[in-house]
Amino acid sequence: MLTLVEKIIFILLAITAAGFTFHGFKVIIDSIRKGRPAPELKDVPGSLVKAAIAVLFQQTIFKARKVLSAIHMGLFFGLITYAVVNLVDVLEGLVPGFELVYGGKHLPNAPTGLINAFNLIADVMSGFLLIAIIVFLVRRFILKDKALEYRDNVLLNPKVKAGGQARDSLTVGVFVIMHVGARLMSQAYRLDAGADPFMPIASFLNSMFGASEVGVHVAWWISLGWVMFIIPYLSRSKHTHFFMSPINLGLAKQNPRGQLDPAIPLKVIEGQKFDPGAKQIYDLAWTRVMDAYACVQCNRCQDVCPMNFAEGAPLSPSALEVNKRYLLKEATFGSHADRLLLPLTETVISPEAVWSCTTCYACVRVCPVGNEPMADIVDIRRRMLIDGYEIDSGVQNALQSLATNGNWMSKGKRLRGRWAKEMEFPVKNATEEPVEYLWFVGDTASFDERVIPNTKMVARLFNQGGLDFGIMYQNESNSGNDVRRVGEEGLFEQLVEQNMAAFGKAQFKQIVTTDPHSFNTLKNEYPQFGGKFEVKHYTVTLLKLIEEGKLTIKNKLSNYKVTFHDPCYLGRYNGGFTAPRKLLELLGVEFVEMPRNCENSFCCGAGGGQIWMGKVAPGERPAENRIKEALTTFEVGRIANPTYQKTQLFIVTCPKDMIMYSDAVKTTGNEGKIEVRDIIQLVAEAVGVEEPKVAEAVPSPA
Amino acid sequence: MNIVVAIKHIPSIADDLPVSGNTVDFDSVDFVLNEFDEQSIEQAVLVKEAVGGTVTVVGVDMIGELDAVLHLALAKGADKAVKITGDDPAADSHTQAKWLSEAIKGMSADIIFAGVQASNDLDGQIGPMLAAYLDMPYIGGVSSVEVAGDSATVNKEFAGGVGAKYEVSLPMVVGVQASVKPPRYAPVSKVRQVAQTATIEKVAPSGEVSSGLTMKKMAPPVVTGHAEMIEGSSKEVAAKIVELLKSKGLA
Repeated sequence: MLTLVEKIIFILLAITAAGFTFHGFKVIIDSIRKGRPAPELKDVPGSLVKAAIAVLFQQTIFKARKVLSAIHMGLFFGLITYAVVNLVDVLEGLVPGFELVYGGKHLPNAPTGLINAFNLIADVMSGFLLIAIIVFLVRRFILKDKALEYRDNVLLNPKVKAGGQARDSLTVGVFVIMHVGARLMSQAYRLDAGADPFMPIASFLNSMFGASEVGVHVAWWISLGWVMFIIPYLSRSKHTHFFMSPINLGLAKQNPRGQLDPAIPLKVIEGQKFDPGAKQIYDLAWTRVMDAYACVQCNRCQDVCPMNFAEGAPLSPSALEVNKRYLLKEATFGSHADRLLLPLTETVISPEAVWSCTTCYACVRVCPVGNEPMADIVDIRRRMLIDGYEIDSGVQNALQSLATNGNWMSKGKRLRGRWAKEMEFPVKNATEEPVEYLWFVGDTASFDERVIPNTKMVARLFNQGGLDFGIMYQNESNSGNDVRRVGEEGLFEQLVEQNMAAFGKAQFKQIVTTDPHSFNTLKNEYPQFGGKFEVKHYTVTLLKLIEEGKLTIKNKLSNYKVTFHDPCYLGRYNGGFTAPRKLLELLGVEFVEMPRNCENSFCCGAGGGQIWMGKVAPGERPAENRIKEALTTFEVGRIANPTYQKTQLFIVTCPKDMIMYSDAVKTTGNEGKIEVRDIIQLVAEAVGVEEPKVAEAVPSPA
Repeated sequence: MNIVVAIKHIPSIADDLPVSGNTVDFDSVDFVLNEFDEQSIEQAVLVKEAVGGTVTVVGVDMIGELDAVLHLALAKGADKAVKITGDDPAADSHTQAKWLSEAIKGMSADIIFAGVQASNDLDGQIGPMLAAYLDMPYIGGVSSVEVAGDSATVNKEFAGGVGAKYEVSLPMVVGVQASVKPPRYAPVSKVRQVAQTATIEKVAPSGEVSSGLTMKKMAPPVVTGHAEMIEGSSKEVAAKIVELLKSKGLA
């Protein structure tokens, strides 16, 4: 089809485009390789294949925004089809007589059926592509969907602030329209014998514009000339996403969710000494440098971030990735290599945002491309602590107390088991006599006056169920889960050593914890320090006691209507969704699920050291929002049945939740409408355990 | 500039304070750094960071566990650590002040910081007595110190929020109420690193004095009563209250 001159021009253009593209990807790969060693990845080919399958079926995007995800799917299949379509179009241009219209009737021995199928797919997919891209452009530029924006107090690269991302989207959006439109036109102009039933859209265009030899040339050049420009452009835009996201997904975190990467890479490199955590971008593991190139800035992570939700907090996990990519782009494609040396707290995330993260993992969980902005934040915290950055006074007090007392409440070690000494039966000391279950009680459940009644209730039920259990009294230290997430790796290691020494003194078969946070680190992180134990959350142990008939449910609690909050560190981190729900079912309560449940549970705002903060961001707090969500959920049932008279309960299985949500009920003025209870209180009521009144009524002199 | 910080290791009150006989049961109590000394270490390090010099932290080792405190001070920016091997958990502030002054004598100190008081005796004597032994001026209740040349500007806060500013020529002893900035956090990894590499100079206690005071009795406060919770419906509770008031002859 093309004239000789056209062919020469096209081939020269193609070589130039290939050169720029190769250069673009070389720059990207070089910059990724500058990152630190990442935790070892096992069976890389296997996980790349798995990722390819996930991408092919678009599995990971459907975790949120179902409708938009479906449109993304259309776009994805359209572009995959177009990779083949473009190759065929090049052949049509370069090979004389190669033409596929009308089932390829001009070609000798053409497989007509196959060609017709191809034409139909190409034609229909062109339509899908145009619709999908127009929807996305309308969403961004006409409807101006808020989900694509960042709040004013979020640190943003100046280029992003000036609309760099929007321009990027517009460029690629216009390209797709021009490219697909021109391709359809080039096919339409070829239809010199009227409509081809296998090319409905092209035939329709043909009916309007007719056939034209010149038209074929012009449209072909518009369609493929654009490609020569856009392919190199992609490597310099957020659309590196097309190529990098499947790879990033294939090389994503393999360790358990609840296991943080070490502060210093485990891999030893000759002549290289690493400081803990991250100050500059290349202090991040290479897999997390790559995150920036995989991110297309869909902001799904921002949607689910409990702290982005809180108006006053300046955190947006997606802004972190966006800023990372712009920083890298300005340094590697631009002339600002010096900016790579700037602290990440000036270039990608503000210190206030670093310290707002609750480490709830919602951002990592929802990310369709396997990014880990939360892990970057923890690494930045680690270095800030080492570098003597002034930290929140509440956090500092907690850390200091943890270092000297082993708990964050500035209480003496010997006071840890005081609640147990007040019990009406002896609670074994697991470091002195063998027990089957070592109960790791945790700081909040051991010391906090608001939670101790529940702790005692757990003890009573364990006792009543004949469970052979004991606690470690003053030998127990804080597990260190939140200490590690605050970034105090050294203190975390110290606490692990203390607890490992205590475990060494004890004889037990398994550990049961009250706090999901302790549960997480004992289960997922202690094994790296030699602590390989079977660890259970108390909800699992209680369920077992009931299922084995050791505890009998005497009263069904049908007068309660309840909803359940999945604690991040039990649910999203460790998949502990069923035991609490099963318990509630056995108790006979009326159970309603909140919209955000299980994997998509909404953080209470206490994790990652937030509960220690002296300063709290203004505006509605995550826990308050959650209580409102619960009330709305209850309201739905109430509207259907206005004579409804049940007591409405918000059930928790984490001591920190007990505190956070009891406060939130008060601060939102919802006392009397909803009550926060630990699941243990319901189990006790159903099983028939009474608190001994005499012992409780007289508070001991503190 | 030679900056010296005199510190005190005292029984912790995070736990219930155990008492045996007429003194604290030193065997079953943890020792911690006096909280005002945390402030004075910070103030000393801030002065060093502003004008240069070395910070030497010196304290009496009461129960053989002072090393941990000295390591923490070194991790926060002190340069040298000295412990006086007192090994007497009951050494009073007069004794400690004497021992400290003997240890500090040879250090040609330009400025000496001490916590304004400590919670174990509440007598605030270490600073003034150090000043007396070393023949230096003393200023206590200080909330900030700025050194320039051979004098210092010292701020002090009085009750009622009234502040005062002094110009004092060096050398002098400062009793620190609060550092100008909150004490910094020393990451545990740094403290542990210091613990492995630092050397702590040991000095034998020298000199003998006494406060002349003897403790006659020490006891936790006696619980004189407790709250009684009245339960029942509002009518029942009201009836019980009336009954109670009558029985006490109040109604």
